[in-house]
Amino acid sequence: MPMPLDSLADQPDDALLAAYGRGERVAARILAERFLPRLYGHAMRMLNDRAEAEDVAQEAMLRLWKIAPAWRQGEAKVSTWLYRVVANLCTDRLRRRRGVGLDSIAEPADDAASAEDGLVRAQRVAALQEALMRLPARQRQAVVLRHVEGLSNPEIAAVMEVSVEAVESLNARGKRALAKALAGRREELGYGDG
Amino acid sequence: MVMADSRRLNDEELEKLLAEAARHPPPLPEGLLERVLADAGALADAAAGGRPAPAPAPAARPRRLAACAGWLTALGGWPALAGLSAAALVGLWLGYAPPQAVERLAGARPGNEGGFDPGEFMLSFEGVFEGILEEGREEG
Repeated sequence: MPMPLDSLADQPDDALLAAYGRGERVAARILAERFLPRLYGHAMRMLNDRAEAEDVAQEAMLRLWKIAPAWRQGEAKVSTWLYRVVANLCTDRLRRRRGVGLDSIAEPADDAASAEDGLVRAQRVAALQEALMRLPARQRQAVVLRHVEGLSNPEIAAVMEVSVEAVESLNARGKRALAKALAGRREELGYGDG
Repeated sequence: MVMADSRRLNDEELEKLLAEAARHPPPLPEGLLERVLADAGALADAAAGGRPAPAPAPAARPRRLAACAGWLTALGGWPALAGLSAAALVGLWLGYAPPQAVERLAGARPGNEGGFDPGEFMLSFEGVFEGILEEGREEG
């Protein structure tokens, strides 16, 4: 008999995955609602292409469904595993691109762009995205996972399969490069002349 | 050079900008969640189809008893089964009984003094077992 939605909603990620592996479809919905926006957001920041980010997020979730029956609870975090899949898929696509011209960078969407605040924010987010795309992919990944997705350094190390020290280094260099890429855009970012 | 550095965002400003991006993730494309759930549903269907048949429900055992009951009813119920058992025993006895016992039984008719007597019937069974034992000794 399927478990009711309420009793599954508070379950940890790996318990939900095990439930889906046993045929509890409602567990898949909770997992998708929990992770899909984050995975899509991360892929979007890495690739800056809606269609590609969509493909990557869907593919990552598909791989999760496939591995569900064999998932061993307590051995790995579902979130770390998913971010790693997204990272690998993004890396593959970035390698195929071999560099993205700034002209091809899409304008990030913003749902509140009609209001003045929304416009300013959309400008800021667009400027940030443009600057992020100038960073080497590994630095961009470290900065986004730490400061946008909110992962801890050990989690990022697990996602990127490097040491915590390497994550700290990538993050520090990434932030310096980001600050440099945004130099001269203070007005646009709403920070005045500084 | 100093001018250029002064125009860079400081750590606090950069953190603020990144935090703002975190608060406003790109909206999920229309239909993506549905496609992801369709994938999950299709895989769950495939897994359910490939699995061995589910364990029999608790009703399986009563269902088998019910089939026996139907067969018994077709024969005429428990009294018919008792009659059938008796006929089988008589058939067995006819097969093993010594010829003289069968002759006595064949000549038995109601009211016939030289006919079948229940007591003799029982004694005939003893003859059956003795005959079997003798056959066994001869073969040995």
